[in-house]
Amino acid sequence: MKAILFLEDRKSFNAESDFSAECLGEVIINTAVVGYQEMITDPANAEKILVFTYPLIGNYGCASKFSESTKVWVSGMVMKEKSKIYSNWQAKSSLDDFLKAHKKPAIYNLDTRTLTVHLREKGPLVGIISTLEFDHKKLLDKINKFKQQPIKSLLPEVSTQKLVSLGKPKGKKVAVLDLGVTAGLIKQLGTLGFSLKVFPYNASAKQILAIKPKGLVVSSGPENDCGLEAVAQNIQPLIGKLPMLGVATGSQVLAIALGARLTRLKLGHRGVNYPVARPGTFKGEITVQNHEYAIDNNSLRKIKEIKVTAHNLNDHTIEEIESKKLKIIAVAYNPVSAGFDQVNAVLIKFSKLLEK
Amino acid sequence: MPRRKDFKKVLMIGSGPIVIGQACEFDYSGSQACKALREEGYFTILVNSNPATIMTDPGMADVTYIEPLNVEVLTKIIAKERPDALLPTLGGQTALNLAFFLMKQGVLKKYKVESIGASVEAIACAEDRDLFKQAMQEIGVDMPKSGIATSVKEGMKIGLGIGFPLILRPAYCLGGSGGGIAYNKEELERLLSKGIETSPVHQVLVEQSVIGWKEIEFEVMRDCADNVIMITSMENIDPMGVHTGDSIVVAPAQTLTPQEYTDFVYLCKKIIRRIGISGGGANIQFGQNPDNGKIVIIEVNPRLSRSSALASKATGFPIARVATKLAIGLTLPEVMNQVTGKTTSFFEPTIDYCVFKICRFTFEKFPHAEKVLNTSMKAVGEAMSIGRNFKEALQKGMRSLETKRFGFGADGRDKITDLMLKDPDVLLIKQIKDKIRIPNDDRLFYLRYALKAGLTVDEIFALSHIDRWFLQNMKQLVELEDKIREQRNKSVDDDLQIPVELLAQAKADGFSDVQLAFLLNTKEAKVKQLRKKSNVKTVYKLVDTCAGEFNARQPYFYSTQETKDEARSSKNKKVVILGGGPNRIGQGIEFDYCCCHAAYALNEEGVESIMVNCNPETVSTDYDTSDRLYFEPLTFEDIMNIIEVEKPLGVIVQFGGQTPINLAVALRQAGVNILGTSSESIDIAEDRKRFKQMIDKLGLLQPNSGTVFTFAEAKKVANEIGYPVLVRPSYVLGGRAMEIVYEQELLEKFILEAAEVSGEHPILIDKFLEDAIEVDVDLIGDGETFVIGGIMEHIEQAGVHSGDAAMSLPTYTLGPDILKKLREASYRLAKELNIIGLMNVQYAVKDAKVYVLEVNPRASRTVPLVSKVIGVPLAKLATKVMLGKKLKDLGFTDEVIPPYVAVKESVFPFNRFPGVDVMLGPEMKSTGEVMGIDMDFASAYIKSQIAAGQNVPKSGNVFISVHDRDKRDIVSIAKKLKDLGFKIFASSGTASVLEKNNISAKVLPKINEGRPNILDLMKDGKIQMVINTPSGRIPRQDEVKIRSQVILYNIPYTTTIFGAQATVNGIEMLIKKDLSVKSLQEYHKMKCKKVKID
Repeated sequence: MKAILFLEDRKSFNAESDFSAECLGEVIINTAVVGYQEMITDPANAEKILVFTYPLIGNYGCASKFSESTKVWVSGMVMKEKSKIYSNWQAKSSLDDFLKAHKKPAIYNLDTRTLTVHLREKGPLVGIISTLEFDHKKLLDKINKFKQQPIKSLLPEVSTQKLVSLGKPKGKKVAVLDLGVTAGLIKQLGTLGFSLKVFPYNASAKQILAIKPKGLVVSSGPENDCGLEAVAQNIQPLIGKLPMLGVATGSQVLAIALGARLTRLKLGHRGVNYPVARPGTFKGEITVQNHEYAIDNNSLRKIKEIKVTAHNLNDHTIEEIESKKLKIIAVAYNPVSAGFDQVNAVLIKFSKLLEK
Repeated sequence: MPRRKDFKKVLMIGSGPIVIGQACEFDYSGSQACKALREEGYFTILVNSNPATIMTDPGMADVTYIEPLNVEVLTKIIAKERPDALLPTLGGQTALNLAFFLMKQGVLKKYKVESIGASVEAIACAEDRDLFKQAMQEIGVDMPKSGIATSVKEGMKIGLGIGFPLILRPAYCLGGSGGGIAYNKEELERLLSKGIETSPVHQVLVEQSVIGWKEIEFEVMRDCADNVIMITSMENIDPMGVHTGDSIVVAPAQTLTPQEYTDFVYLCKKIIRRIGISGGGANIQFGQNPDNGKIVIIEVNPRLSRSSALASKATGFPIARVATKLAIGLTLPEVMNQVTGKTTSFFEPTIDYCVFKICRFTFEKFPHAEKVLNTSMKAVGEAMSIGRNFKEALQKGMRSLETKRFGFGADGRDKITDLMLKDPDVLLIKQIKDKIRIPNDDRLFYLRYALKAGLTVDEIFALSHIDRWFLQNMKQLVELEDKIREQRNKSVDDDLQIPVELLAQAKADGFSDVQLAFLLNTKEAKVKQLRKKSNVKTVYKLVDTCAGEFNARQPYFYSTQETKDEARSSKNKKVVILGGGPNRIGQGIEFDYCCCHAAYALNEEGVESIMVNCNPETVSTDYDTSDRLYFEPLTFEDIMNIIEVEKPLGVIVQFGGQTPINLAVALRQAGVNILGTSSESIDIAEDRKRFKQMIDKLGLLQPNSGTVFTFAEAKKVANEIGYPVLVRPSYVLGGRAMEIVYEQELLEKFILEAAEVSGEHPILIDKFLEDAIEVDVDLIGDGETFVIGGIMEHIEQAGVHSGDAAMSLPTYTLGPDILKKLREASYRLAKELNIIGLMNVQYAVKDAKVYVLEVNPRASRTVPLVSKVIGVPLAKLATKVMLGKKLKDLGFTDEVIPPYVAVKESVFPFNRFPGVDVMLGPEMKSTGEVMGIDMDFASAYIKSQIAAGQNVPKSGNVFISVHDRDKRDIVSIAKKLKDLGFKIFASSGTASVLEKNNISAKVLPKINEGRPNILDLMKDGKIQMVINTPSGRIPRQDEVKIRSQVILYNIPYTTTIFGAQATVNGIEMLIKKDLSVKSLQEYHKMKCKKVKID
């Protein structure tokens, strides 16, 4: 059936959908060729309308082991062509079936390239996917209504409700503050041999210290969430007391706790091809990124203990900060596994900060 | 890190002639490298034997040598130029091997030359099977089980230990030549002995077969700071078992999960680090078991490759340019991404389209070769297409091939019709299944037949192991085809009924107007009309390296069906250049060279250049050759779409070979302005009747001829003009299906063949002028002034296609009277046809008479060679002339006759087609060319032979067996060989003639009459050269065996008496004085004779 993506600046795109649906959200683009299942199950993308720039989606199907969480968090997906077949020995179902099971809409046959260029030029926009309403005025009304909704935090939804133990029971105890943690991060921390204690987002410093962890990982999760400020305040007392690693949104929380500010990028970094390097050096890494906010450089300069250890080579946004003294590492990118059972170098670096 | 300052002079080695497995992708990479080096201020020295390349243009390097590529010559050049560094990673396997041998022989050490880009250790690690295996074991990367054999016995033991099927790969061989798949003991033994012979180091890898596994490739780059990036992944649609150079390939890989993708990336990083490439790129090939994901490494190429050229064109990332910058010590973050203009090269390109590569084969030229694909590469060219989905890319790719097909079948040209497929009989199903099971160049069409005949995707997968994802997409095309067909017109003249949505979907899935016209029973023009009326518009999207994330500064374009056009048509003056499409025998790099020069010339004249081409190997499809590049098929529909968007002031059709010439009339009829010589003149030259009238009018001679449609007519014409006659179809290139017929009995067979190729056009029958000398003339004209670029004398007698013949420039036996006649005829023809641009005329000279054989009102294959020899860029001048400039103003008014001699020699792909006869004839068979240049003919000729890969001997045994009519001439040749110290072996007939002339020769028995015969001696390495002229048009079996064996053992041979003469004179030169090397720049400084126009 016919579908539409309508943006708050009144730009509309015709598309198709297999079932009737309507959803709203900030429209974001991701330039990765593979990884659709991981992206839509990543809590960091909660309530977004996700556009894939790669035109052929669903080729290798879906399997629960690819999921970053148990839910599809995006409110909708936009793609050029939804594959009618999947082909990979690991696949258990088609993307279609996966989405049906999770009741999430995916519209297709849409000029995603033009949409991408539009967002690149216009910056972040809210949009609506609908198969029910095509009248531009009414769609705009819905968008406006959506924008006027009282702001609510997603953290209670994406975070664990109670303390959960994961990883290797006999390993070094590491606390994870779950702001929407991904299965991939948990798996890597497990590979490092840690005993993981996953705390709800609103855990206090006292609660965390109570289990006597060797370190704290503040996970990725939804950005620009109204609940993040409080999380930062909660963990502020831990600075200097516990080695800490902030990942993606977790790095932003750490930065806030340290007294820095965030800025919004015109076009978020979302993809798997972002170069970062230590300022003043020629050696860097290609990283996976999914952030639209970055640590403001000016505000960071005032904090003496903190050093920028990696920036994005394209636009020089801060991608990694470190404090040797405070034993803090914060990475704006996603420190994903480098393949097979490899653990990302940042996580290894963090593990070396932990006392024996 | 800043570029290295500890060296100043860099030597670059090109890849030599175009051969199967090594085509113009290395001109593309080499040219990019030359530019990159000079940008950084290095003094560059370039060596390549191939004159048809852009890289050997005198302005590309500081010093340019067109000399044979071997250790001896390279050593001389190194001694003379004293480079500090050698960049061997941009000239294919040829350059890499040369660097390796220069190291082995201590030349690099002696002259203190450092190998940059890939150290000799890295080269050895990737190329030496033992070292490679060891390295992979060390880092825990699995390989197929294997062993290295240096003898048949050893190989048998290894092979039987692993179990069948087995793959055999000779070490240091191009494109897997000499390799193959063994399913049993007999095949193993045969392939082992062949492989050990073929390998220059006599090593063969005997390996567990992973046939049917997925074949996945990655292009990887690493700099000296250890930054590693993936340019793209590629997935071969043809699974393991078909050489990747022959496979249909998509980019990026379509069926990998993110975890698998990262696993591959992890392995790639590990491998490139272990191999030790620290300033360059590599192509890494993997096999993956589709049932359990198990990965094995197949191969690493520590250099630029065909795949890296494809990856470059597919992503917009200029791998060769960046690899060169890395080789001189820069890091990826220091090299700008010129396509985006704002980011660096330290990133991984991401794409928002699907890229499809498909190969062009040439089995029709070698009718005796087996029409199957395996691990030995056979493709002569390739086309790349881009679409927003796989289906669109597939259909565009198939029409890009220019095999008169307009998509995935359904174009009215299918061998098996829908009617037959509706109710297929058992035999048909078997035929289809066989064609799917055994890889071949028609397999895609048979996949469609299979789907139409009701085979399921699973059944087809079981037969072909082609991933179901691709098959399912093909099935969608077949289903759409059926849906379109439901809208079929009863009568051709009816109005179209197809709903707009269906039409839009058809276009989005890549259906061409030709296919739609066939399916809807209407005319192509009507489909176009409907498209326009219903606003189903083709738009252009960008190849920008970043999927739209950044606003690209210098992208290129592909067509698709979307909502917004991103074409960047300007209001400036602009000209469209039509390229030559995929390389094939008869149309290759020479034409691409001309297209590039057209772009350069337009730039010099302040006119925007718009290139249209679909060949990913070429310089013309480089992002910075033209102002705007459209990566599109060269069909009427696709070109018109571009013209409608760009609205150029004109189109250049003279440079892309026969492809654009064939479109000229249709384009003109559509109101397109053809620049230069009018399409009217083009038609006169192509239409035999009109051509004959012109020849008569000008008082010139032409061999007697006639045009016929049937055998009865042919018989009559042939009897009138007298045998031998030359039979050929019209409107073809490269002498397709051309034959010399000596007697009526054979006429029928050849007429039938020609009729098939000719289609609705007539067949031409010409009197064949036996023993005539053929001459090629290239000429440029501006409508007023006409100047000869070069007069080239063929070395072989008439009857050998001019694309295959060796030629000398200037001429070496023709007297002043003949030259005068040739000049007069050429100028008269040019004037009559009002040539504006280039023209090529072929003549035959017999009994002091000059006959016109053919006139081509376009750039010829020899334009780059002539330009380089006389030091005048003819294609550039021709472009300027087409824009209205005059030759007088451009300063080229006199024919230039250099004091030195250049000989062009052709290079043949016989080693890829085991058992085929190496005889030359009127049908072109060569894939490439080399040039020998020196101060005298004999030296230039022998250089050309060495450059073409002939292992020219200075001593040893020569086998001679010649046709009766050559026996008189052979005496002096044999005498000279004797004097030079060679021993002569001969067939009994030839020996008796020699004996009568007091030249002793050992008589060898006929092949079936005794041992050891000539085959035994060749195998034992006792024969250093073979002179064998054919006994007749239908060769004797003995001769074919001898001639195909010379290929197997790489023994120098000649099949013409003139070739033999020139070779022997050259050998004499070689013995008496050492070959010397001289750069093109040195030659160009010499004073030339000028011939004024009368």
